[in-house]
Amino acid sequence: MKLGVFLSEYRADSTILQRLSPEKLGIILVGNGVYHAAIKEKGQSSQILDLKANFYALKEDLETRGLDASKLDSRVKPLSYGDLVDLIFNEYEKLIWM
Amino acid sequence: MGTLTIGLFSALVGSMNYDFALKLAEAAVDKGHKVNLWFSSNAAGSPLKGQKHLKDYSHGETPLRKLIEKGVEVCTCEACSLARGVNKTNAIEGVQWSAMHWYLAKIHGSDRVLHIGGE
Repeated sequence: MKLGVFLSEYRADSTILQRLSPEKLGIILVGNGVYHAAIKEKGQSSQILDLKANFYALKEDLETRGLDASKLDSRVKPLSYGDLVDLIFNEYEKLIWM
Repeated sequence: MGTLTIGLFSALVGSMNYDFALKLAEAAVDKGHKVNLWFSSNAAGSPLKGQKHLKDYSHGETPLRKLIEKGVEVCTCEACSLARGVNKTNAIEGVQWSAMHWYLAKIHGSDRVLHIGGE
């Protein structure tokens, strides 16, 4: 299964995500979840980004939080809402919201 | 093109989930997809008419009316809405009224489903 996970909060705990083992995993950072894409704590990137997954972040939510593309972790791809629609329909068949 | 059903349980103001759901619905309908939007729990309080659009504040009525005009099917859980003082006389025109079976039927007929939980 190709699973898209919307992560809408900035919680450090990735236990739930680590238990997921779909054929393909996409982690879509929206809302406060975009902080995972750019914030470092004690010099360390978010442990979420260490998971075996494709990472995306909603551009609008990054920009409203003052996080521009230069601050983005290289593993994360910025998306517009239009890109997100295409991603949902073309890349991931099941979606969950966290 | 495909069909996307979004189930929304979050309140209008607060977690920004509501804003996200409406923007995603609009982006999808603008790309030619069919979109269904289901309100339950705290989201069922949102179809109230006469919302004041305050600057820098989440606002639901205008984007919701726009989505309905664009052909998005918006349906609220009648029980949840009535429990929050929203009824057919004070609700935004064009919002459908039903129960969970509407949402389940739409889910079964959709290519993609996104269920956005409440607070």
